[in-house]
Amino acid sequence: MTNNNERTKMPDTLTHDESLDTSGFLCPLPVYQAGQVLIRLAPGQVLRLVTTDRGSLQDIPALARQRGDELLAVEDHGATQLFWIRKNA
Amino acid sequence: MRVFSFLEHTMTTLFEPPILKTDPQVRRFEDVRQLLPDVEQPTPIVRLGRLAAARELYLKLEWLNPFGSIKDRTAAYMLSELLPEMEGRRLIEASSGNTALALAALANLEDIPVTVTIPDGAPIEKRVLLRMLGAEVLETPDDLCPVDLPADGAIALARAIAGSRGGEAYAWTDQYSNRANVRAHYETTGPEVWRQTQGQVRAFVAGFGTCGTISGVGRFLKEQDPSIRIVAVEPNPGHRLPGLKSFAEAKQPEILDQSVIDQVVRIDDETAYSTTLSLFRQEGLMVGPSTGAIVAASLALDDPGLTVAISPDSGFKYASYFAQFLDDQQQRKDEDARHPHP
Ligand SMILES: Cc1ncc(COP(=O)(O)O)c(C=O)c1O
Repeated sequence: MTNNNERTKMPDTLTHDESLDTSGFLCPLPVYQAGQVLIRLAPGQVLRLVTTDRGSLQDIPALARQRGDELLAVEDHGATQLFWIRKNA
Repeated sequence: MRVFSFLEHTMTTLFEPPILKTDPQVRRFEDVRQLLPDVEQPTPIVRLGRLAAARELYLKLEWLNPFGSIKDRTAAYMLSELLPEMEGRRLIEASSGNTALALAALANLEDIPVTVTIPDGAPIEKRVLLRMLGAEVLETPDDLCPVDLPADGAIALARAIAGSRGGEAYAWTDQYSNRANVRAHYETTGPEVWRQTQGQVRAFVAGFGTCGTISGVGRFLKEQDPSIRIVAVEPNPGHRLPGLKSFAEAKQPEILDQSVIDQVVRIDDETAYSTTLSLFRQEGLMVGPSTGAIVAASLALDDPGLTVAISPDSGFKYASYFAQFLDDQQQRKDEDARHPHP
């Protein structure tokens, strides 16, 4: 499956259609805002999300699971976290 | 001269006192806020003479508040406390609808913008009314923050917005922790009940929501007579009774004063909804579903004597919920008719 191949790509080679920076926002504000953007995106488009609340490491995968979106990659840099989410087709 | 007469007219209207002045005796008011209740101008209590003929059970009709619910009291107290700090800021509150409606209406009168976080399952009527008042409405699933249990997405989101970068632009009324919520009921609802029953009240029944009502009225009545029974009503987890909280799934509010509560009665949705319809049909009281729960709980008590139960709001804002309940009820009836039980 192409999806599985893409999951193994290095994040810096991943492209995205929209970017959302929620630095300084406490949970669940990043989940709420990411959810709003994902509703707006077309199926298959990718959102790159920046968060600074470590709760996102659990909240964002749960959001993707709930919505049926695909979490392509996660990077945890301690103070910031990066997520690439592909909207469900 | 035309211009002169216009000027003259303006001068006389400016300097002549208005012909009519506020007169509560004939219910004439200069400002909607003068309709907010207090011990001199209480919301009515009405006896349930048919549904509870053998009892002295009175319902306090809080939908007769100016913005339609008991939360008008809470909103007015919280807003007046915050007013000095509101310059250039927005109000934010998490609400099942009633607090937000009252806050939005009152804040509009002060030119203060309002953001509301509301559970996405709240009735459409409340969400539309909030938009009609011009509030920003953020609909929030309860499981918005799956790692932060007990789940209450609307409260979590309001807290996050007020606490995040840029949060200084928001004043969070936080009715679940705000002492002004309890004080509103300690200073108005409680004294009203005491005076309206000439101090004869033996039991008081209200729901668990933010717990402002039960804590404030409970404390006031216990101070008058510690033997007055204070009864709280709790719904089941997963209930559809907006305004009420089950502490099996929601966090207990900071302002809940357990020390004034003698008894907790649990009521399921079916009982609450059918009691609401009994109030409509037998008493002509067009109340909301949390009133049904509170009245059902009052009827479940061993008769404590003169009882006052709270009716937080009217049924109008829940027509969409009752449309579904009535359809389901009809469907069950039709099925029973097709497959009669032996
Ligand atoms: C319809 C309704 N019923 C009951 C309640 C519970 O009252 P309190 O918040 O004072 O506990 C509320 C308040 O949120 C309400 O809106």
